[in-house]
Amino acid sequence: MSLLTLDNVTIRFGGLTAVDTVNLEVQEGEILALIGPNGAGKSTVFNLITSIYQPTEGKISFDGKPLVGIATHKIADMGITRTFQTIRLFSELSVLDNVKIGAHCRGKAGLFHALTRLPSMKREEVELEERSIKALEFLDLAGKRDEMSKNLSYGEQRRLEIARALVSKPKILLLDEPAAGMNPQEKVVLMEMIRRIRDTGITIFLVEHDMKLVMNISERIAVLDYGKKIAEGTPLEVRSNKAVIEAYLGSGKFKSRIRR
Amino acid sequence: MALKKLLNNWIVQVLLFLSILGLTAFGSQIINDITPPYILMIGLFIGINLIMALGLNLITGVTGQLTLGHAAFMSIGAYASAIATVNYDIPFLLGVLIGGLVAGLVGIIIGFPTLRLTGDYLAIATLGFAEIVRVQFTNMKITNGAIGFLGIEGSTTFPIVMTIAVTVVFAMVWLENSRNGRAMLAIREDEVASSAVGINTTLYKIQAFAIGAFCAGVGGALFAHTTTFIQPTDFGFLKSIDILSIVVLGGLGSIPGTIIGAIVLTAAPEVLRPLSNYRMMVYGLLLVVIMIFRPYGLMGGVNLRQAVRRAIMWPKKKQPGRGE
Repeated sequence: MSLLTLDNVTIRFGGLTAVDTVNLEVQEGEILALIGPNGAGKSTVFNLITSIYQPTEGKISFDGKPLVGIATHKIADMGITRTFQTIRLFSELSVLDNVKIGAHCRGKAGLFHALTRLPSMKREEVELEERSIKALEFLDLAGKRDEMSKNLSYGEQRRLEIARALVSKPKILLLDEPAAGMNPQEKVVLMEMIRRIRDTGITIFLVEHDMKLVMNISERIAVLDYGKKIAEGTPLEVRSNKAVIEAYLGSGKFKSRIRR
Repeated sequence: MALKKLLNNWIVQVLLFLSILGLTAFGSQIINDITPPYILMIGLFIGINLIMALGLNLITGVTGQLTLGHAAFMSIGAYASAIATVNYDIPFLLGVLIGGLVAGLVGIIIGFPTLRLTGDYLAIATLGFAEIVRVQFTNMKITNGAIGFLGIEGSTTFPIVMTIAVTVVFAMVWLENSRNGRAMLAIREDEVASSAVGINTTLYKIQAFAIGAFCAGVGGALFAHTTTFIQPTDFGFLKSIDILSIVVLGGLGSIPGTIIGAIVLTAAPEVLRPLSNYRMMVYGLLLVVIMIFRPYGLMGGVNLRQAVRRAIMWPKKKQPGRGE
């Protein structure tokens, strides 16, 4: 069964069609990669799924429920969490607090609880802390829990962002270029980590530029070029697809790349 | 540990809190009796400024929304409580509560349209709002317009101010260490990431705004019942800046910083009084010097809990601060 479905999704910014009638199905439990040259509309697809943008046309549904028109902050509660292309951590807060905030949508305490500090609120806090530490352990960051997150190394910051996205136990995790800026060793660790996350039952949908990583890890790949989906299939199929090669390397003939 | 378990009991904590409040009231009553009125008045204004600054600290320091209209909420609290106690014979403390609640309510109403804005734009919008409020009070009959509101009873006492200030300090510490407080901090750090983890940014911004406005209203009410006479010019742009300076100088987002800021900036003009004509010049110089040497405020980037723990347990362990 498909967990996340994009049905003829189009978004236009003024005259620019960033995503053009894209159909895509993410199956439960798979690792799907979305690739494409710069400016192909990959990140826009993520922003559409997380309701940061609303599609001009088309429908997006998750787990049988429509996603279009739902406020961004409700998306996490439905079971979709994400990381960002440029790391977006709460940099002046501790590593543990970052992860705790990640579980915000699973908490219930409100202003009344904050000011009365009733036992029920404290129980929730203890539970939250245990849960956050578990997420940190999963991503090998437990030793850094009291560190301010801006003081972490680049790879650690990337992992913390994943921990923050995982702590609320989502059904699907959207990774926006998780390997960007990583060195080869960090990439190997990352790949292994993505597989481990998938093995806990979380579907992975990633956007990535690093072909080696993508070919290695994904079970299916979809290719975007100028907002249009030009190919979809297993890594092997995509690698030999003519349209994909043309999109990345050009056709050898002069063709204006400027869309009108 | 048995002691730790006992301290974790809710009823014990409530009793502990109430006894702290009792001690504060009792202690400040003694200070009230033995201190000369002039110095007592400075202490009283420190308390009032602290209450208002803590409210602004929640909005600007914790939630990261720069506002320049805090004096407007103060004036709303001041006038609302003055009208309540003078025109309707409502008891003083209830009047203070009414002042806070009215200001908080206005905060919510103003928050909805303005909190869509961020940064400089929000600052300007709140500045405009403060001007509207001031002009409104100048032209209203019930506030006695520009002439000023007379005949308020001087019911504010040092123990009352101190007890309220301590309560607000505790409430702020609790708030910051809760799900709500973390959500507010997250909004300050990154709004996009906040909504991606499920934080309703509008809700928490308005919550912060309402609580901050409530504090300003309470401060304003106490102010009105101290000076016994209020006029719209008491709550101009400069008053907003005064409160903002306390928060920035103390260290944005730091509660201990705000306390120190309130003490330093309220006491400084009085301490510098012997300098007569040069007083405000030296005061300005003080601000400049502090901001040069402590660009993040006096307590900016100092995690008090960590600092205390470090001082007690690991005197040699160093931790990088915010300024580095």
